Amino acid sequence: MGRNAHLYAFPVAAVLLLGLPFAIGNEFYLKVMFLVGVYYLAAAGLNVLVGYAGQKSLGHAGLYAAGAYTAALLTAKLGWNPWLAFFASGVVAGVFGIVIALPSLRVKGPSLAMVTIGFGIVMEKIATEWTDVFGGQAGIHSVGSLRFGADPFAMRDWVLFVVVLCLISHLLMRSLLAGKYGRAFLAVHTAEVAAESVGVSVYRFKVLAFIVSAVFCGFAGALVAQQNQYINSDFVTFGLSIFFLLIVLFGGGGSIYGPLLGAIVLTLMDAFLARWPHLQHFVYGALLLFALYAMPDGLVGAVRGIGRKIFPGLYRRPPVPTAVAEWQLQRSEQLHADAPLLEAKGLYKAYGGVVPTNNVDIRIRTGHVHSLIGPNGAGKTTLLNILSGIVPPDRGNIVFNGVDTTELISNHICRLGIGRTFQNLKLFTDMTVLDNVMVGLHPHMDVGFWPCMLGTRSASRQEQEGREEALRILDFLGLLAKANDIAGGLPYGLQRRLEIARALATHPKLLLLDEPAAGLNPQETHELIEVIARIRTKGITVLLIEHHMDLVMAVSDHVFVLDYGAKIAEGAPAQVQANPRVIAAYLGEEVAEPDAATVVQARPAAA
Amino acid sequence: MEAILQAVLSGLALGGIYALVALGFNITNNTTKTLNFGQGEFLVAGAFVGVTLVLVLSGKGHVGVLQPEDVTLVKYLTGLVGIIAVLGTLGVFLYYTAVKPFVGAAGLAWVMSTIGFGIIIQNTALGIWGPAPLAIPSPLGNEVIRIGGAGILPQEILIFAVSVLVMVALDLVLLRTKIGKAVRAVAHNKNAAALMGINVPAIVILAFVVSSCLAGLGGLLVAPITTASVFMGLTLALKAFSAAIIGGLDNPRGCILGGFMLGLIESLIGLWHAELREISIFVLIIVVLVVKPEGLLGRKIVEKV
Repeated sequence: MGRNAHLYAFPVAAVLLLGLPFAIGNEFYLKVMFLVGVYYLAAAGLNVLVGYAGQKSLGHAGLYAAGAYTAALLTAKLGWNPWLAFFASGVVAGVFGIVIALPSLRVKGPSLAMVTIGFGIVMEKIATEWTDVFGGQAGIHSVGSLRFGADPFAMRDWVLFVVVLCLISHLLMRSLLAGKYGRAFLAVHTAEVAAESVGVSVYRFKVLAFIVSAVFCGFAGALVAQQNQYINSDFVTFGLSIFFLLIVLFGGGGSIYGPLLGAIVLTLMDAFLARWPHLQHFVYGALLLFALYAMPDGLVGAVRGIGRKIFPGLYRRPPVPTAVAEWQLQRSEQLHADAPLLEAKGLYKAYGGVVPTNNVDIRIRTGHVHSLIGPNGAGKTTLLNILSGIVPPDRGNIVFNGVDTTELISNHICRLGIGRTFQNLKLFTDMTVLDNVMVGLHPHMDVGFWPCMLGTRSASRQEQEGREEALRILDFLGLLAKANDIAGGLPYGLQRRLEIARALATHPKLLLLDEPAAGLNPQETHELIEVIARIRTKGITVLLIEHHMDLVMAVSDHVFVLDYGAKIAEGAPAQVQANPRVIAAYLGEEVAEPDAATVVQARPAAA
Repeated sequence: MEAILQAVLSGLALGGIYALVALGFNITNNTTKTLNFGQGEFLVAGAFVGVTLVLVLSGKGHVGVLQPEDVTLVKYLTGLVGIIAVLGTLGVFLYYTAVKPFVGAAGLAWVMSTIGFGIIIQNTALGIWGPAPLAIPSPLGNEVIRIGGAGILPQEILIFAVSVLVMVALDLVLLRTKIGKAVRAVAHNKNAAALMGINVPAIVILAFVVSSCLAGLGGLLVAPITTASVFMGLTLALKAFSAAIIGGLDNPRGCILGGFMLGLIESLIGLWHAELREISIFVLIIVVLVVKPEGLLGRKIVEKV
């Protein structure tokens, strides 16, 4: 929803939701509304993890339990103030979020599902078996209810309280996820390696997503325990974890309205069908089975599809200006020309018997365009991966701009000033062209988590400045008119160029381009030569891998040649072109010398 | 000492069930990169179909009380044939409704759809057989056999023997036969396999049929020990899944190893503190995955950049 539409719709929705409990007299309906709110809170948090950061969890009932039992134990056993216990439950659940995040970071796919399932079951079993503390099936009675003054909340007070919490959560989520945090989560979701390469720490954002989802789930658990004034181990089941996940996926992950729709529809359905438990489970199963087939983007995707047809104006993105100022790096970011920028010595990397990088020394000088050439399998990309921190070298060291970067990981190296593109495109395909570039600006947007979540003025100012700079970068590369297009839908040649734009947004001192002309037609290749020349005039040093020799010869000041992992020549383009070893590497030798034959035999087959 | 031997023996039987079901996960994972999260309910279906066939053959209707003399080996084996027919069909259904629409799609869709399929099966079973568990005596009788002081049920020996037999047979089929080679080719690279003239959809369906039948067999084997219950599936399948993950989901022998390991660990810990059995298993899994994310015998996947 656009900013203006939200500005009007939100207060209206708030008034309606706060008025609704007064219109409902029936306790049962009030309870249903309370549960809608509770499930919305849990799902809104889980959505950050599942829909945005793309991490699947089948164990969030465990975090719900952490919140519920914290509130229960603190009030019933230790006599804490119920409000204090309520807030403590969010904190404790957050800590559990870290506990589950750390193992989860090491695994992907089914193994991640297993870790989260395992966590959920461990929590469930602890609640069931450790009866001394958690009461097991008998549960914990007289949990302290929230209260104003002496009387505990009545059902209507609970509903009002939950509605207020939901409204606040909605606003917080909205400002957090619309800005740089939302983009970074989505970037981690679509292409982890690319996210790292633009300075987004995958580790940090995954942990953060786990914590956010855990805190929300913990509050949801505490609400239920304190409203019922009772909790037992039957509240914590594998089925509940699936229900949370279903709310997000059925409603529509990756949209802040998905969990809302999901929570409303599923909770109401649950309550309505509760009279026929048999049918309830059938519907539940059928929904799981068919809903995602019929609506891959969830309810919210389906609604949006219809909405777009009826009110196209509501979904229009802010227009793109036709002219913007020229993109410039700040003076302080310029380096002294000709000085050595990067020096790597004795880099060595082996995968079993294959040695894609064999004692390579390279030296890169500020302001020049360097090319890295060599036959297929020569180890060019591996060298680039080592320089950009994606692959750690076995031996050797790299000093970039006075800093030893040998041991550093990708996102850190990016922040020091090395940007890169990928041979196999790694764009954030579902995001717009503009957002892709804005992810690139991430390391330069220094507003922290809380200002972003609270939507402070400094956060929105920085967002606006980021947007303007991203537009300037797009203009610099001739992509301005495409700013609102979805990146995955661009023609191939423009996708390659968008990768360069994203890398430039990180303000690199050294730009690594991995086969930027692969798959381009002659016209596009020609334009690329110009683009590289223009990047060079900005004072940005370039190291590129290419097979198009005319491009290499046209743009390079200095050429490195790799063959079977070793550097066999370097120098000015013309020099390298004339080098007999280079010719031999590319075309083979005319005379089969005896030692050449042994070399061929010794070469690994699958380089 | 005797207690430990006892625990090892029943651990091996339990491990056989886990290994069978884990093997089913492995087969579909290798061919489609998906697996049935509702496999527990397939286990339930297997147990009930088997028990019901034995009941019907004894002329007792679909819910009744079986006496030990009712359950002969012939009837038990007929139950097995029925399971292969019914569960095989369910496997095909599962593939077409819950897996095929989502294969290759991003996200969790297939996890949710297979769970949904399982819930539908569970409730169908609940409708037919009701919530009460259905007991079936072992076809080999209930006389405890003494081995070095430890007692073991004949059914436990049967479980162990059948599961080892099935695993060896599957291993041989995979490694020695043409169809096994086709399955392995599809597992490595679907497109290349198709270009070599292998009927990839048929192999994939076969994988789901075999996987479902393995779960059904697991259900039939375990029923005489635990009784057949509509609710027994989830825990068993989750542990089998853990076994697969610990051993290495992409390696059939890893899955078998994981299954037996888990069975042994579970019954040995049960010896010490019964209530810590499940907690310690799942904690162990998390630890194993942190140390060796690809599983004990799994292959490390290096993402190409």
